[in-house]
Amino acid sequence: MPPVKWLMHWHPSPGATLNTQILAEACGCAESLGGAKDGRWKTSIIFYRAMTRDGGAAGPAGQQGQQHGDLPRELLGVALHERPGLYFSIVRLAKLVLQADATFPQVMEKLQSYKARVALNFEGFQYQLGDFCLRIGKCVPNNSEVLRGIMMEVEYYPLSSIEKSRAIMEDFFDVWQETVAKKSLPGHFIHVESNFSEYGLSDQYSFQHTAVQYATCLQQLMAVVRG
Amino acid sequence: MECVVQGIIETQHVEALEVLLQGLSGVPKERVRVHELCLKSGPNLGVVPSEVRLLCDLAQPTPSWTIRHVGGAMRGAGAEQISVLVRTIVESKASKNVLQYFYTLGYKLDHELLKIGFAFRFHRGAQITVTVTSANKMPRLHATDEAVPVTPGIQLVEITAPAAADNYNDVVSAVTAFCEYLAPLLHLSKPGHSTGIVATAGAAAASLMSSGGGKTL
Repeated sequence: MPPVKWLMHWHPSPGATLNTQILAEACGCAESLGGAKDGRWKTSIIFYRAMTRDGGAAGPAGQQGQQHGDLPRELLGVALHERPGLYFSIVRLAKLVLQADATFPQVMEKLQSYKARVALNFEGFQYQLGDFCLRIGKCVPNNSEVLRGIMMEVEYYPLSSIEKSRAIMEDFFDVWQETVAKKSLPGHFIHVESNFSEYGLSDQYSFQHTAVQYATCLQQLMAVVRG
Repeated sequence: MECVVQGIIETQHVEALEVLLQGLSGVPKERVRVHELCLKSGPNLGVVPSEVRLLCDLAQPTPSWTIRHVGGAMRGAGAEQISVLVRTIVESKASKNVLQYFYTLGYKLDHELLKIGFAFRFHRGAQITVTVTSANKMPRLHATDEAVPVTPGIQLVEITAPAAADNYNDVVSAVTAFCEYLAPLLHLSKPGHSTGIVATAGAAAASLMSSGGGKTL
């Protein structure tokens, strides 16, 4: 069973813009806490859009052609760095997370019912810090360096129970916030808790939990960009 | 890609086929109990209508799910001349909510079957899998415990072997060669080109059973 993990994203102060300096400062915080850099990581999210025979858009927010309200407009594909052999597909509207093999995108390609459109990469450095692993990274579109967000993963090796680890994760988050605050950066990290039970996931942490957290994190980052 | 041939055999000769396969392969048989659900894209979903198979392996203590897409057969003059079908196959394991997932995506259940039988997996020029199964239909949706045979007295034999663009000729040869060993009991051909049961099956089966298994092969 994988260890419990929290995803956090950078929320810029009103009027402040995202830049890579914030990423560098966050990495500096991990090092100042005693974190030892031990590699790079990359997780990818792929947006799939429903294809319809009349060229219409599925889902309630369809903009052109005939609408097909009973079809989900969008799927998310998640390829996690820690499990390259697995692939996750999330239907946010239906609160569904499917775990499949890395060959799953080939199945989707053959079916031609949902088409991969845009890919976003979450990538950065990894730090070992006692029982914790910190991964701090940026969110950028595939084949582009346009910064869409900054986020981090905090993993706590000894525990897999979300509830049992809550107190220690909160304590760590407090320490982290204090460390970041000392840098007087224009913003702060936020942990938005995913509603795992809505997805039928239990208290025991799994890779599906991580996939759902990425979907939540992505939603938050998009909201920041739009806001 | 995979190479595939199929044939049918009367249930009364399946035991002899098992003896023959055991002797030829030298590996223990595996139990097969697969619930196969064939889904088709709903109206208007997808650039073209599509079909996907969900296989639930019920032979394991914990059922496991596989998504299977069977692509079109290789075409052209070369493909016509060989007696084995070469087609693309993409498979992925999946979590148990896979049926709900495809329903949500707009796929509908077309039909479902329960395949019961056995398989032998071995290497003989290629990684060959021989499955011998009876197809069963369910009187009620997903009621696998109440399944009854679709074709009583007849079982399906399928030989498959994984292949790639650069080696399928060798795999075709290996499968063709293996089919010849089974010829007295059944005739194997491309799916959809069934040639029925073999007249010599009764005599071949009797001979196999009286020879005390695969020892003399």
